Amino acid sequence: MSEAIAAYDPAVDAPAHHHPIYDYDSGPPVERGKFAIWLFLATEIMFFSGLIGAYIVLRSAAKSWPDPAERLAVDLTAGNTFILIMSSWTMVKAVFAAKKGDQGGLVRWLIGTILIGSVFVGIQVFEYIELYHHGALPSVDIFWSTFYAMTGFHGTHVVIGVIWNLCVLIGALRGKYTAKNNLGVELAGLYWHFVDLVWVLLFTIVYLF
Amino acid sequence: MSHDHAHADAGHDDHGHDHGGHFSENKILFQLLVFTVLEVGWGLAGKHFGWNKLSLWGGLLFFAFLKGWLIAVYFMHLKFEGWVVKSLILPTPFLVMVIMGYVMPDVADAESPLAHPVGSAVDPATGRVIEDIGPQWSKPDAEHDKGH
Repeated sequence: MSEAIAAYDPAVDAPAHHHPIYDYDSGPPVERGKFAIWLFLATEIMFFSGLIGAYIVLRSAAKSWPDPAERLAVDLTAGNTFILIMSSWTMVKAVFAAKKGDQGGLVRWLIGTILIGSVFVGIQVFEYIELYHHGALPSVDIFWSTFYAMTGFHGTHVVIGVIWNLCVLIGALRGKYTAKNNLGVELAGLYWHFVDLVWVLLFTIVYLF
Repeated sequence: MSHDHAHADAGHDDHGHDHGGHFSENKILFQLLVFTVLEVGWGLAGKHFGWNKLSLWGGLLFFAFLKGWLIAVYFMHLKFEGWVVKSLILPTPFLVMVIMGYVMPDVADAESPLAHPVGSAVDPATGRVIEDIGPQWSKPDAEHDKGH
């Protein structure tokens, strides 16, 4: 009996009605996670476009609009923009380290990204506190309403990105990511870069226009 | 290949082919930082010298979109993605323009702009518009300097 089992060759002995096994996936020709994150990012673009569109309408309809440079610390925020761009660069480094299977590099660059992202959030919180002490509340006028709506929603996205990167860091410390299995790092990276991209536009529209 | 040069590997591609996506993240970072300096400089110079809004805003938008393009194409690897990802994301600029197109009539045909100018407030008790509502409008730095 055991000799019969050993002699069984599926290619020859399998019944003729058995279907061949294809290396085939009926889904889209891209990883499901990546498909989902890009679809999500497309909706996020529309979300921020709605906010910016509302800002344009309100600003254009206002009889007057104050110069943002007279109300906001443009120099501080320009520095903060540098910081967020730097964090995008460290995230690129983390993704490349993951793809090379460099566990140490992945952990180091992720920690760098998290720290720099936290500094960005810290500076934004500092800015909010300063503005609060000077009576600049969202209820004061439409300038502050739109300012807090746009920068607040973006800041929330940065906080979520920091938390997401922390989760990825925990996974990296546990050895979850390898040179062949690193999609989780890449997805977090895509979200983080998107947050950076949105800030580049918001900084221009809110602080420099 | 130097350490700072990265490749788009098969995992970045819809079909598993290598599109040869080589770029230097250090160079992209440098360009982003330079464009940010130029953008801030453009904004400050434009306001200082009283440039018209078309020049000021046009320049600012140019730098902003240039930086956004660098981030999307290189950092987000959009350049090296296949048709599926591109078809997901490329319609959104068109949709954004549709949104902006729809809100423009609200701007152009606004018969009743905001009830009072920004920088003023409505007194809830009397309903009267107060044109100057005090020092809380001044920039925090200027306020801080006044204290000294």
